[in-house]
Amino acid sequence: MGSTLLLEAQEVSKYFGGVHACEGVSLGVREGTIHAVIGPNGAGKTTFFNALSGFYYPDRGRVFFDGEEITRMPNWRRIERGMGRTFQTPSIFPELTVHDNVALGVRSKAGLAFRARPPSGEQQAVLERRVDELLGFVNLVRFKERPVAELSHGSQRLCEIAMSLSTEPRLVLLDEPMAGLAESETERIISVIRGLHDRLGLTVLFVEHNMRVVLGLAEMITVLDRGRILAEGTPSEIAANEAVRDAYLGKEVLERV
Amino acid sequence: MRFGPTRLITVGVVILLALAPFLSPLIHVDISIVNEVLLFTLAAMSANLLLGYTGLPPFGNAAFFGLGTYGAGLSIKYFHVNFIEATLLGTAAALLGALVVGPFLVRRRGIYFGLLSIAFGQVFYFIAYRFTDVTGGEDGMNFARPYLGISNFHVTLHGSGFYYLTLVVFVASILAFKLLVESPFGRTLVAIRQNEVRVRYLGLDSNRFVFVAILISATMAGLGGALFGMLNNFAWPLLMDWHQSGDFVLSVILGGSGTIWGPLLGSAIYVIGKDIISSYTNLWQIFIGALFVACVLGFPRGILGSILARFGTAPLSNESEEANWTQSPAIAADHHG
Repeated sequence: MGSTLLLEAQEVSKYFGGVHACEGVSLGVREGTIHAVIGPNGAGKTTFFNALSGFYYPDRGRVFFDGEEITRMPNWRRIERGMGRTFQTPSIFPELTVHDNVALGVRSKAGLAFRARPPSGEQQAVLERRVDELLGFVNLVRFKERPVAELSHGSQRLCEIAMSLSTEPRLVLLDEPMAGLAESETERIISVIRGLHDRLGLTVLFVEHNMRVVLGLAEMITVLDRGRILAEGTPSEIAANEAVRDAYLGKEVLERV
Repeated sequence: MRFGPTRLITVGVVILLALAPFLSPLIHVDISIVNEVLLFTLAAMSANLLLGYTGLPPFGNAAFFGLGTYGAGLSIKYFHVNFIEATLLGTAAALLGALVVGPFLVRRRGIYFGLLSIAFGQVFYFIAYRFTDVTGGEDGMNFARPYLGISNFHVTLHGSGFYYLTLVVFVASILAFKLLVESPFGRTLVAIRQNEVRVRYLGLDSNRFVFVAILISATMAGLGGALFGMLNNFAWPLLMDWHQSGDFVLSVILGGSGTIWGPLLGSAIYVIGKDIISSYTNLWQIFIGALFVACVLGFPRGILGSILARFGTAPLSNESEEANWTQSPAIAADHHG
């Protein structure tokens, strides 16, 4: 476990009118770890995530990435700096093929997206190799020429993960990567997230409310409840935490009955 | 794909247009009307770049078209420039207009973009309308058609001559447009239309792309407007009115937004249809309106768009456009700080 913080949030708050969706949340993501943010519905997980990734800016508090303050940095520039993110509902280009979805990010990273001139043969070959590599990583090569809209929800999410990797990030933010997926698809996503960490050496921060998945995957867990931090610790610490059990685990168990 | 329907259409249309001076008398249409179609199409294409590719409703493009017309007309009237200089000055006037209003438009999306583009368009309209001493105001402004200005030839083009010159400019514009929308830049515009948030989360400043799209769009409209002015030897304020912008948008939707040839088809139906029907009745707008309704019902993606979709080659549809109709916070976030 590395000791430097790749992402750091200090007392981040976000209000919507009178609703304090996120209140003084601080968190540090160590480089090279898988870190999870969990909490029941309405806990402010996605709000917090959006404030970290620049979907909107926090009303209070500061955010740092790799030591640099990014609190009010435009989202596209954060991607240039080495962040990637996915959304609860896969954010893709539905009418474009899987290939074209990923290729746009690869062109972006290569600085070719703004050009009116087509890429040279050599550049194109490099781009294609990179697209194949990314699609290979999420195992979508066979769908390469299909419009993403035709893919299953799980495959769309994998495509989105490949897109978020196309800009070669150091940190990947995944917003409820398992939401709305069947059991078998969940397993695929879990192994891909493991691969982000184990094979690509990336730092991962993800939001999830499936406790079983989180305990098996994360090295560090932050628990949110009603916009505030309830607890933070390793999976075993979180599993043993009384407050978490009352506020979260208990409720989930009750919900299942 | 390479030798598929797209290429056939291209070759067929260019041959048809090249023969137009001989064909148009057969349907009792003057060649100047076909000429008008081509120039109207340039404006429709400029609207298509924003509407069909970038996903922004361009309800002020007539102002760029009119800036081209007035730019050419005023420079002919007051500075006695030749044809080529007038064309370039008219086009430059439109580009200059876009450089002024572009920075404001670039931050708006969906209906807000549409409303602001109407507002800016009307500003130019009222300038032409009110600045009577220079522009002739409501009565419009006459000017003589200048000589061509290529080397030592003091030729002034008329009729078919002017038409073929327009055709050369038109074909060059179509080719440039095709290269543009198929370039990495053009593909990014299409991606912006489908999901601007994702474009930004791929590390691209979408506003920069939108701004350049607005500039290119205005330049194209200005080119069409400059030639249109010299076709009629006349400029009048209603050219810049937002109804005129609406006609361009209408032609794009009629022909097929997001397609290369759709604007030509839509403009041809609109301009020639108007010419023929209005020779029989003053109520031509009713018939054009009915035709438009029939086309939208029969061809939901526009005539060409729907035909291409049937053959499975339509690059775009409009289904996801509603999602773009409101401004997303991910885009707005740029402008708080």
